[in-house]
Amino acid sequence: MMMPFGISMAWRETRAAWRHFLYFFVCIALGVGTLVGVGLFAANIEGTVTREARGLMGGDLEVRLSRPISANGWAILQSLESRGIGVLHISELVAMASRIGREAPPSHPSSAVPTQLIELKAIEPVYPFYGTLKTIPDRPVSELIAVQPDVCVADRVAEKPNCYGAIVQDSLLIKMGLQIGDHLKIGQALFKITSTLKHEPDRVASAFSLGPRVMISQEALRAAELVKPGSRVRERYLLRVPSEASPEPLLTELREQLTKDSAHVSTFREAQPQLRRFLDQLTRYLGLVGLTALFVGGIGVASTVHAFIKDKLKTIAILKTLGADSGTVIRTYLFQALCLGFMGSVAGVFAGASLQHVMPIILAGLLPLDPFALSSSQDTIPIEPILKGLALGVATTLLFTLWPLLSIREIRPALIFRTDILGAEPKDVSLKGRFASLRQLQDPVRSGMAVLVVLGLSGLAIWQAQSLSIGMIFIGALLAAVILLVLTARALIRGLRIAASPSSLTVRHAMGNLSRPGSQATSIMVAIGIGVMIIVTISLLERSLISQIGESRPLNAPTFFFIDVQPDQKAAFERLLQQQFSHIMPELTPLVRSRLHAVNGRPVPLHEEDDRERRGRRDGEQGKAWYFTREYVLTFLDRLPKDNIVIKGEWWGHDTNKGPLVSIEEEAARHLGVGLGSTIEFDIQGTVLPATVSSIRKVEWSNFSTNFYMILSPGSLEGAPFTFVATVRVAPKEEIRLQQAVVGAFPNVTAINIGEVMDTFARVLEHLSFAIRAIAVFCILAGSLVMAAALATTRYRRLYESVVFKALGATRTLIAGSFATEYALMGAVAGLIGTILASGLSWGVLYFVFDLPWTLQPMVLVSSLLFTVMLTLGVGFLSTFRILGQRPLAILRHE
Amino acid sequence: MIISASHVTMRLSGGGHAVTILDDVSLDIPAKQMAAIVGPSGSGKSTFLGLIAGLDRPTSGSIKVDGVEITTLRESEMARYRRQKIGYIFQSFHLIPTLTAWENVAVPLELIGDPHAKSRAIDLLTAVGLKDRQSHYPVQLSGGEQQRVAVARAFACRPPILLADEPTGNLDSTIGRQIIDLLLALNRDYGSTLVLVTHDSDLASFTQRIITLRDGRIVSDHSPASSLK
Repeated sequence: MMMPFGISMAWRETRAAWRHFLYFFVCIALGVGTLVGVGLFAANIEGTVTREARGLMGGDLEVRLSRPISANGWAILQSLESRGIGVLHISELVAMASRIGREAPPSHPSSAVPTQLIELKAIEPVYPFYGTLKTIPDRPVSELIAVQPDVCVADRVAEKPNCYGAIVQDSLLIKMGLQIGDHLKIGQALFKITSTLKHEPDRVASAFSLGPRVMISQEALRAAELVKPGSRVRERYLLRVPSEASPEPLLTELREQLTKDSAHVSTFREAQPQLRRFLDQLTRYLGLVGLTALFVGGIGVASTVHAFIKDKLKTIAILKTLGADSGTVIRTYLFQALCLGFMGSVAGVFAGASLQHVMPIILAGLLPLDPFALSSSQDTIPIEPILKGLALGVATTLLFTLWPLLSIREIRPALIFRTDILGAEPKDVSLKGRFASLRQLQDPVRSGMAVLVVLGLSGLAIWQAQSLSIGMIFIGALLAAVILLVLTARALIRGLRIAASPSSLTVRHAMGNLSRPGSQATSIMVAIGIGVMIIVTISLLERSLISQIGESRPLNAPTFFFIDVQPDQKAAFERLLQQQFSHIMPELTPLVRSRLHAVNGRPVPLHEEDDRERRGRRDGEQGKAWYFTREYVLTFLDRLPKDNIVIKGEWWGHDTNKGPLVSIEEEAARHLGVGLGSTIEFDIQGTVLPATVSSIRKVEWSNFSTNFYMILSPGSLEGAPFTFVATVRVAPKEEIRLQQAVVGAFPNVTAINIGEVMDTFARVLEHLSFAIRAIAVFCILAGSLVMAAALATTRYRRLYESVVFKALGATRTLIAGSFATEYALMGAVAGLIGTILASGLSWGVLYFVFDLPWTLQPMVLVSSLLFTVMLTLGVGFLSTFRILGQRPLAILRHE
Repeated sequence: MIISASHVTMRLSGGGHAVTILDDVSLDIPAKQMAAIVGPSGSGKSTFLGLIAGLDRPTSGSIKVDGVEITTLRESEMARYRRQKIGYIFQSFHLIPTLTAWENVAVPLELIGDPHAKSRAIDLLTAVGLKDRQSHYPVQLSGGEQQRVAVARAFACRPPILLADEPTGNLDSTIGRQIIDLLLALNRDYGSTLVLVTHDSDLASFTQRIITLRDGRIVSDHSPASSLK
C-alpha cells in the first residue's frame, strides 16, 4: 500500500535534510516548552489552591467584616453552634510590638529595633478548622497562645499581670534581636514568645506584607486594648459545617441575615480571591512572554522554510515538470513542516514539564504559599496546558510556514530547461528582492494569506491571554515592534550599502555579507531585537519605578504615618511631639472607614462584589468593580489639600449649610458614573450618610501625602467613629526614637515607616521583574536560534567564499575578523533598535499607565547593547568556526 | 496529428534586451512518429521542445496536442497535461538528489496515484538494467546510470509523447549509444511519439524525420533517407 504522494515525498525530503530542520525543530520546542512550563505551573498551583481551598480559608465558610460585629450579628453566629456548626473568631490588624525586659543581645548590637510594625492575628484555640498550623516547637495552639505560667518582665506602664503566649515569625526575632522565651509588649498587653511560625494555612495571600506575623489569643487582643471605634481591623468568623452538610444553604442564609453588618460571606470555593487573581495575572503575562518566544521561534521557522525552498528550487521545478501542480508541492512541504512542528511541540512539552519545576525558583519571593510544596504535591499531570502547547506549536508552525511556501506557486518548470539552454544555474526567480514584500501584497492570494496569518496570530494571542483586549493589545504591540524593527534594520542595512566603502577589506566584506541580496540579516535582527526589547523594557520599568519610589520622593515627604490616633489622644499626641521633638510639625487628618451604600439612589448590593468581579474579569474591567466594592477612607476638610486641583464644580466655601457635600477624585467619579449633583450614600459602620457631589478633583497620588478619593465637607461626619492619621517628617537618625516614644505613650497607635514600606514594595518589584525577565530569556534564546538557523543556511556560501579568500592568500584571522565584524554589526543594530524600542515602550507604560516621567537609564541601555553584541558574536562564532579550518583544495575541487 | 504547432514565437527578455528564440515556427508531428530536431546551439530547439512539454508558454502562436490547445491551459491543467501526456528526458538528467533511484522513477506514478508505484518503478529500473542500483542516490550513480534512471522515469506513466532533450549530450559516445538503444527499444515497446533534440547527426539518423532549426526558424524538414542522399 503506497502512502499518498505528499506524505511519502515529505518523509523523503525530511530524511535527506534533517539537519536543515534541526533549528526549525528547536525553535518550536523552545517556545512551546516555555508556554507549557508556565501553563503546567499555573494549572498545578490552581489545582492545589482548589484542592486545598478549605485549608486556605481555614473553614467551610467565612464571614468577613471591616469592623467589629454587631451584637445581633454575633447572636446569629452563636446560634449556629446549636446546629453543630463550629464558629472560630479571627481578628487581623496591624499593630506595634515593643521589646521589653532586656536590651538586644550582643549578636544584634545595632541593627535590632526596639519597636516593630507587625501584622497581628488574634485566634482561638480551635484554630484552624482545616489545614495545618506549623510551629517550632510543635505544640498545640491552645498551649502556645494561652496565658503563660511565667511572670512577664515588669514594665513601668504595664498594669496587666497576665503574660500571654505569642507565636511569631522568624523575621520578628531577627529584626528585634529576640529569641523564643523573650517578652514583647503589644498595645497594653505583655507577651512571651512561645514559638516561631513556620506555616499559616490561611495567611492572606499577598506578596506585599507590612511586617512579621504575630499570633495571639482573642483574650490577649482584648487585653491589648487595640481595637477602638474606627480602628482598622479585619474581623473574620470561620465556620465549619458538619461533614455531611453543604455550605451553600448556610451561605444564602447568612448573607440575608448579616446584611446590616455589611458582612461579606463566602464559601471555601471562593477562597483566596486575591491569590487566584494574582496568579491569574502573573501567569497570563508570563504566558504572553512565552508566546513571544514562540513567535520569535516562528521567525526562525519562516526563515528556515524560506531558505529550504530556495535550496529546493530545482527539485520543485523537476516535480512540476513531472506533472505535480503547485498545490501538490505546497501540500507536500506544508505536511512536512507541520510534522516537524508537531514533533518540536512534543519535545517542547517534555521541556516544559521540566521547566515547571524551575518556576518556583523563578517566582520565589512572589508567592505567599510554599511553591516547592505545591509543585511537588502533584499526583496527576494537567492535560490542558499540554494540549494547548501542542496546538499553539502546530498553529504557529502553520502560520509562519504558509507565507514562504506560497513562493512555490511562482516557481515555473521552465526554470530547468532555461538552465539547460542558457547554461546558467537556477536563479531565485521568484524569491528575489526581500524588499518586494509590499509588491507581493498586490497578489490577492498573498494579501489574503497575510490577513489570514495576522488573524491567526491574533487568535493565538487572544487564546493565550484569555482576553480579547489583552490579546489584541499584545498582537498590536508585537506587530508594531516587528514593523519598526524591520524598517529600521532595513534602513540601517541600506545605509551601510550606500555608505562609502571602508578601506578595510574585513569591514567591507562584513558589510557586504549583511547587505547582499538574500541576506537574512533582517530576520536575525528582528528576532534578537524583540527579545532585547522585552528584557530591556522590564529592566527600565523596574529601575524607573524603584528610582521613582526611592530617590524621587519629595524632600518634604513624610517619614511616618501614625494610624489609629484616637480623638481623645489627639491633643496628647501633638503635645508629645512638641515636647520631645520641638521642630516636628505633625499633620493630623481625621478619617473614617466606609463602604458605598448607594450611588444615585441605586443600592450597591454587598454580594454583587463577586458577580461584578466575574463580569469585570470577562470584560477586562476589574477596575470598575473595585471602585464599587472597595472600602473608602473618608475625611472632612475645610481646605483643598495640596496637589489637588478642582476640575469640575467648586470647593466648598464657608457656607456648609447645604447638607453633606462630597468632593470626588476624577477616576473614581468616572468609574462610579457620577457627576456634579449626584448623590452618594456611604455606609459608615452601619449608619448611612448621604452626600451630594459638589466637585471633582484631580489628585497627585505620588506625592506621599494622605490623599483621598472622597472628601466630605466639614461637619458632615459629626458623631462618626473617626480616628486620626498623623504624617510626620523626621531626620533618619531620629526615626527609631520617635517610633519608640509614640508607641511607648500610645500603644494602640501604629507607626508605618514609609521608607520600610517602599523597600518592601521595591523588593516585590524586583522579584516580579526577575520573574518576567527569566521567562523573557527564552525570547533571547529563540532569537539566538533564529540567528544560528540563518547562519546555517548560508554555511556553504561562507565556506566557499572563505576558501576562495584563502586561495587568494587571505589568512584565517582576516576571515575570522570579517565574520566577527559582520556578527558584531548585526548585534549592534539589533541591540540598538531593541533598546530604542524598549525606551519608547517603557516611556509609554510609565506615562500612560503609571503617570510617571521617564528617566534615561544609560547603564541599562549601554550594557544591553554590549550584551547583544556579545551574544551575536558568540552565536555567530559557534555557528561558523568550523568553516575557518577548512582546506581550500578539497572544497574548490568539489565545486 | 498528435502535435500541431502553428506560428509559434518565443521571445525572452533579459538584461534589457529582448531575444527572439523561436520565430514563427509551424510544425505538425503525427502520432507514433520518431522525429529529431537538430540545429546549432541557440537555434531554439530545446525551447521548442519545452513549449511542447508545457514547461513554458510561447509569446504568440498555438500548440495543440491531441487536439487540445495547451498554451491557454491553467497551471493545474498544465500540470495534469504533463502528468498524462508527456515523458521528458533532460540533457543533465535532473534527478531529485534527495530521492533514491526507485523513488525518482516512482514520482510520476505516485503523482497519478498508482498504488503499485514502487513495484512498477523497480520493474522499469530492471528494464534499464539498474535493478541492483535501485536504492542508490543520484550522487552515487554514474552519468550513464543517472540518465538510465531518467529514461525509466520518463517512461513510467507510459506517456503517449516522449520528449528527449540532448539525452546523450553529457555522456561519452559508448554510454550515449547505450542510452539511445534503450530509448529506441522502449519507444518501440510502448509505441510513443518520440521527439528528440540533438546535435548528433548519427542519433538523428535513427529517426524517421529530421527538422533543422537555425536562428529560431525551421530551415529544413525531411526524412533521414533524403538527407543521406
